[in-house]
Amino acid sequence: MASTDVAVVGAGPAGLSAALTAANLGLKVTLIDELPAPGGQYLVGNPAIHSRDTKQPPFSAAERQGLALLGSLAQTSVETRFETLVWHLGSDYEPFPRCWTLGLYHFPPELGGQGGIAGKVEYLTAGAVILASGAREQVVPFPGWTLPGVMTIGAAQLLARRHGVAAGRRVLLAGSGPLLLPAAVHLAGLGAEVVALLEATHPLDWLPHGPAVWGNWDRVAEGRRYLAALRKARIPYRFGQTVVRALGAEGLEAAVVARLDSRGRPLRDTEEQISVDALCVGFGFVPNSELAQLAGASFRFDPANGGWASELDEGLQTSAPGLFVAGEAGGIAGASAAMLEGRLAGLGAACHLGRLNEAERTREQTTSAGRRKRAKRFGVMLNTLFAPPPGLSAITTQDTVICRCEEVTAGEVRAAILAGGFPLTRGAMTLDALKTRTRVGQGPCQGRTCGPILARMLAQETGRPPTDAGMFHVRPPIKPVPLAALAGGEQP
Amino acid sequence: MSERGDVVIIGGGIVGAACAYYLGGADVPALVLERDYPASGTSRACDGLILYSDKLSEAELALARASATLWADLAASLDADLEYNRRGTVVLYETEEGLAAGRRKAAELQLAGVRAEVLDPAGLRALEPNLAPDLAGGVYYPDEAQVDARAATLAMLDAARAMGAVLRGNSEVTGIRLDASGRVCAVTTRDGDVPCRTVVCAAGVWSNEIVRTAGVELPVKPRKGHILVTARAPGLIAHPLLEGSYAASVKSSAEGVQVALVAEMTASDTLLLGSSREFLGYDRTVSPAVVQAIAARAVRFLPGLAQRSIIRSYAGLRPWSPDHLPLVGPVDSVPGLYLAAGHEGAGIGLAPVTGQILAGWIVRDEAPPLAEAVRPGRFPSLMGER
Repeated sequence: MASTDVAVVGAGPAGLSAALTAANLGLKVTLIDELPAPGGQYLVGNPAIHSRDTKQPPFSAAERQGLALLGSLAQTSVETRFETLVWHLGSDYEPFPRCWTLGLYHFPPELGGQGGIAGKVEYLTAGAVILASGAREQVVPFPGWTLPGVMTIGAAQLLARRHGVAAGRRVLLAGSGPLLLPAAVHLAGLGAEVVALLEATHPLDWLPHGPAVWGNWDRVAEGRRYLAALRKARIPYRFGQTVVRALGAEGLEAAVVARLDSRGRPLRDTEEQISVDALCVGFGFVPNSELAQLAGASFRFDPANGGWASELDEGLQTSAPGLFVAGEAGGIAGASAAMLEGRLAGLGAACHLGRLNEAERTREQTTSAGRRKRAKRFGVMLNTLFAPPPGLSAITTQDTVICRCEEVTAGEVRAAILAGGFPLTRGAMTLDALKTRTRVGQGPCQGRTCGPILARMLAQETGRPPTDAGMFHVRPPIKPVPLAALAGGEQP
Repeated sequence: MSERGDVVIIGGGIVGAACAYYLGGADVPALVLERDYPASGTSRACDGLILYSDKLSEAELALARASATLWADLAASLDADLEYNRRGTVVLYETEEGLAAGRRKAAELQLAGVRAEVLDPAGLRALEPNLAPDLAGGVYYPDEAQVDARAATLAMLDAARAMGAVLRGNSEVTGIRLDASGRVCAVTTRDGDVPCRTVVCAAGVWSNEIVRTAGVELPVKPRKGHILVTARAPGLIAHPLLEGSYAASVKSSAEGVQVALVAEMTASDTLLLGSSREFLGYDRTVSPAVVQAIAARAVRFLPGLAQRSIIRSYAGLRPWSPDHLPLVGPVDSVPGLYLAAGHEGAGIGLAPVTGQILAGWIVRDEAPPLAEAVRPGRFPSLMGER
């Protein structure tokens, strides 16, 4: 079995920064990512796609910094393993103090790829593990959201940045959060007609959060550049509106949009039908937490942090010694914070392995820690002011599919919650309990998409805090692995 | 409503649900106290096979056949889809020696009145065209069946509630209290005592800790098992399949891990793949090595699975008992205490007959049919004056 000092899972901004920090301290580092190249969702694609198009806004400070990390990766001793999924994370107390074992599934194209043809199962042991597995988008489901042509903002960005393809010819963007802006600009840059950008929240709600902006001037400048680009491309930016239905027989043909009242409920008499062939939606992010859950790390629920996230100490160590979390996987705060956290986690891992002593670590991390706090504050502000307003759940009608994999509707979920005997069973209605009553979370995505949606529904239906719903229990493999690869793989 | 708790059932798994259901049918509405939520323990981490071809004794076979009949009735009468199917199962043999043993086993069962049909390779292929071509043969047991264990647990609990039973989730029982005469007077929960005259401990592998507080030691041990869930594979198999060595792995008391293939299709076209058996205490974490071993057995028998993915796996704890029979009925040394535990891997199959026997004991206070073989008092630690 291969072994390393530090295994870094995820080669986005946080993972790159963590890997380089640890490698610069002389540690053997293995950097693993499912994508074929480093950069993650944030830096994915050839930067030439941006630079070729003069209408694109210039890179932000964070993007420049991320690209610099990418550039220096090749000059270091970091071992990279791309097209590799970490499907299991376990630990053993032997050899002392604790050794982590990562179950890997390598699926390079010549082996058939992730379509499930083959690939190799291998194991890697590591003295410390840094999870930098990023975040996934949240959706508020509405009728028609499963139609071809409806996708997340992130999926549209991946198409645009990695393949240079626009999601459609006439595109509508709806959701909440700053990510809608670059997506609209990129789509317009690729020649798509962006009919509108609908932001569910309203600027008036943002005012109280002004102070957190202090010090995060690069983020403000980035936003202003995108706003200018939007105006230049004549893309309407509408606030307090969202999509309530997607229409179409085989694929998307039109979207119905509506204004939202002060609590976020759609006003039916303001509905308007817009014909589009692509609809991109995104309502913020939730941390990818499966591996930390498998490892038994403890979690804390904080909406301002993106929901459930690992409990971390100052050095970004989880409750499991030697297991660190950096970047969005530990809470949603953007790329600048992610890179700072990568550095802190890299230092933390070095300290855990005895490469640095506490005093050296403290000296190394002072500036980063302060800047991280500021960046986190900005992230918390964004998460708070762009949180989907509670009334928005009204767009999820009884017939709307909640669990895409198993096609379970909101109506079926509500019936299951009632049949569960609530309130007689007091708090016994968790996501896992719901999974035994319906098939939610039992499909290939294992509840990644529907988990946060169901938690919100449970809280709303039962009137109890979302923490009562818990998280879906995670078991390996965290993503599908073909039987042939398991059957013929290396033994742990 | 028995909120006062005349009869308390500890455990909302398949066995507790069956006890509540049959007690409800006898006009004894019980209070079911479940630690987490219904079917949150072993009942959600198992397959749903209703077998008798793996039974090791005459007594076990009689219980299994009685229970199989009850399952057919439940599937017809309960107001829910249990995903019950009686399409038979096929036991697979890799070698001629294995098949010879399978043939002997089939002959024994036929003598006892069980339908069985020995299959040569051509016969096996006719029933299951996607099996590996080099198998020696198999035995088809046309009367064996399957249910969805979780759906069945919930359906029985819902039916029991409709007959007056009360279910409390998130309600862990930590002990049993006896009065001065040594009779059950209450169960202790984190939210206080629940007074009751009768307690049924149906807490599976977690029963030991609970009944110990009443001075009772059970010979039940957790025996860990893994199940793998595949992506949808419609039509790959037509019957649940069991590797011939499955019965031997059940019988064995070896400490190390034993793997024998069990493959079962579900209503949503996924396959459940098992099985492993090992004694590892209460550890329920999934072992990657065991996942790989089961995957290897599955690909060996079903080469078409090689291209499919495992979408999740889970591990559960079977309540093993030394003679492979459950402990169902009164604990003679503690008036008011009843057991319904120790079913090992047969909890789903034997749940209805367990519920019926238990209800019979409580309602009539005398041994119902089939009850003797499973009486807890057959173990020395559970003997005592009544």
